Amino acid sequence: MNIVSLSAGCCLFATGPLTEPVGVVHYLIVGAILFTAGVVCMALKRNALGVLMGIELVLNGANLNFVAFSSPYLRGAGSATLGLDGQVIALFVILLAAAEAAVALAITLNFYNNHSTVDIDRADDLKG
Amino acid sequence: MNSVSDLGSIVSRSLHDTLALSLPLFRPELCLAVTVVLLLLCRMLPVLKMLDSAWVALGGAAFALFYAWSDLRGLPGWLGGDALASRQEIFTGLLVFDSLTAYIRLLLMAFLVLYIPFTKVSGIPDREDGADFYTLVLGATLGMCLMASANHLLMVFMAVEMASVPSYALAGLLKGRRASSEAAIKYAVYGAGASGIMLYGMSLLAGLLGSCHLPTMARQLAGLAGAIPAGNLGGVEMVLVLGGLMLAVGLAFKLSAVPFHFWCPDVFEGAAAEVGGFLSVASKTAAVALLLRIAFGLGMPVAVLPGADSSSALAGQAAALQGALLGDARHFMVATIGLMAALTCTLGNLAAYGQNNMKRLLAYSTIAHAGYLLMGVAAAVALSGSHPASARTAVSAVAFYLATYLFMNLGAFAIVAFLRNALRSEEIASYAGLIRTSPGIVVATGVVLVSLIGLPPLAGFWSKFLIFSALVEAISLSAERPLMLVLLVVGGLNTVFSLYYYLRVLKVMTFDPLPADRPGEALSLVSFPGAIVTALAVPVVMLGIFWSGLYACAQLAGAFAS
Repeated sequence: MNIVSLSAGCCLFATGPLTEPVGVVHYLIVGAILFTAGVVCMALKRNALGVLMGIELVLNGANLNFVAFSSPYLRGAGSATLGLDGQVIALFVILLAAAEAAVALAITLNFYNNHSTVDIDRADDLKG
Repeated sequence: MNSVSDLGSIVSRSLHDTLALSLPLFRPELCLAVTVVLLLLCRMLPVLKMLDSAWVALGGAAFALFYAWSDLRGLPGWLGGDALASRQEIFTGLLVFDSLTAYIRLLLMAFLVLYIPFTKVSGIPDREDGADFYTLVLGATLGMCLMASANHLLMVFMAVEMASVPSYALAGLLKGRRASSEAAIKYAVYGAGASGIMLYGMSLLAGLLGSCHLPTMARQLAGLAGAIPAGNLGGVEMVLVLGGLMLAVGLAFKLSAVPFHFWCPDVFEGAAAEVGGFLSVASKTAAVALLLRIAFGLGMPVAVLPGADSSSALAGQAAALQGALLGDARHFMVATIGLMAALTCTLGNLAAYGQNNMKRLLAYSTIAHAGYLLMGVAAAVALSGSHPASARTAVSAVAFYLATYLFMNLGAFAIVAFLRNALRSEEIASYAGLIRTSPGIVVATGVVLVSLIGLPPLAGFWSKFLIFSALVEAISLSAERPLMLVLLVVGGLNTVFSLYYYLRVLKVMTFDPLPADRPGEALSLVSFPGAIVTALAVPVVMLGIFWSGLYACAQLAGAFAS
């Protein structure tokens, strides 16, 4: 994922990313790293809270993309930006992430009450 | 620049847009929102605590159903008129009101009006949990209405979250049960992960196309090939494909399409049958509508600016349809949706074979039906580029399927819930010999399950028939012919596979000996539960015989694809 998104950045700005002043590519790279870290966290963590943190990282990676894409300063003159849309989306995503985390934490607490653990791998009663 | 008067004109314009144009087309959603607030208020006031929350919710849903019905009747194509697309963007382009919005909204409201009495009679939620339960159900349905009318990536994400987050809580409704809390945590973790990945895909697509407004994105896509140096086009296409696939992850999760179906059986088995019915019918309906929105929104640019000259817009649309990247995008969407459809259908049907728990069997049946629905969507998208009229027919087939699916699947879940109350079990084996004590319920189960198989003369036959005829039409017009041929064969074979496991349930109910300890009649049709089951099973028979009225409505919904 990381490499693919890097090349995504390179496509937008065909020049080398490290010799240019800070532009949208750099933000995309940070976003891609956050996204990758989040996906790895979701896939490898056994603790439900760890998985939820991974989800937050993914959402923040996407948020960073939206904000970077919406900035006319980063994208240079003349190229299309998302404008205010990107920033508004980022704000809404922060809100939704909080709501989702609240519900997910409540569910985790309920899971703990019934199973005395928050280990996701122990949720294996249902299968077939 | 005179910024003060600019601001004033912006405010007055957005006020006009909101109050005069948008809100009148948003009445069903407003009814739901008001009902949610009422439900919450009722708990705070001691006087109103006496009021049963189910009736409050039912009243709100009935008002919403009335407005949704009058919206559908108000469409220009109603009753034999020219079924032209009546597309109207509301709330500054965030949502769109057209025949698909009106039709799906009507389905969701009709679902609520049937669903709330069913949950009231079945006893889950109990009176204590009622207010929570109906708040969550109505809130999730509000999100599903928005899914059906989303026209902007922000609304797509918001609507998916609004529909999902209450559903996570609903899955964990039976707080003290191990299985229920396990179902809830699996659903929440997988669901939140899928929506996070979907959001990242959206950010890539939006950044590349410079807009979040779906029709504008489609126009950008059409113009993209010319705007980018030839050497970079491959990279751009790769990012588009990546973003599209990530978006598809979120949609496939909502649809429970393979390979993102694994949550579905666990959640359905762990959660109460009532919640399973909600997720299986309402959530699926909204997800299919959202898929149609996104596929047609990105694949077919329409005249977007309100007040734009329609003839020049049509010419622009015709030119844009020829755009090379747009054709590629449609081809990519058809391939993705078609592949998922074939896998989903086959896996759902094959995995249903070994199931002993009725809720789990219905979960796999839900997955299989998502596959049939995806086949219709794939045919519609394949036809949309070259043959808009046939694409409309394919969309109407999907819309018709969704309506019949509401009755058959809600009926199946209602039977599971009532039999659970009577027999204290959801295992198929515990249904043995039911025909000797309660023949009425066995007949109702037979009607519902045979309709799910798709045998005439029941409603399920016509919905499958319409989907397959859409595939045949795509083959005969050679739109994506090889894939459509594969889908037709897979769909036909799967219908045959599905005979066995649905009929096995009926076989247990009729031929297996009655257990000695069964106390008398399990469930009579002359009772409140029996009335609910009858109310759901009779439309399955009636729609099988008198299907033309519903099909006319579905054709109206199909008119959105033009």
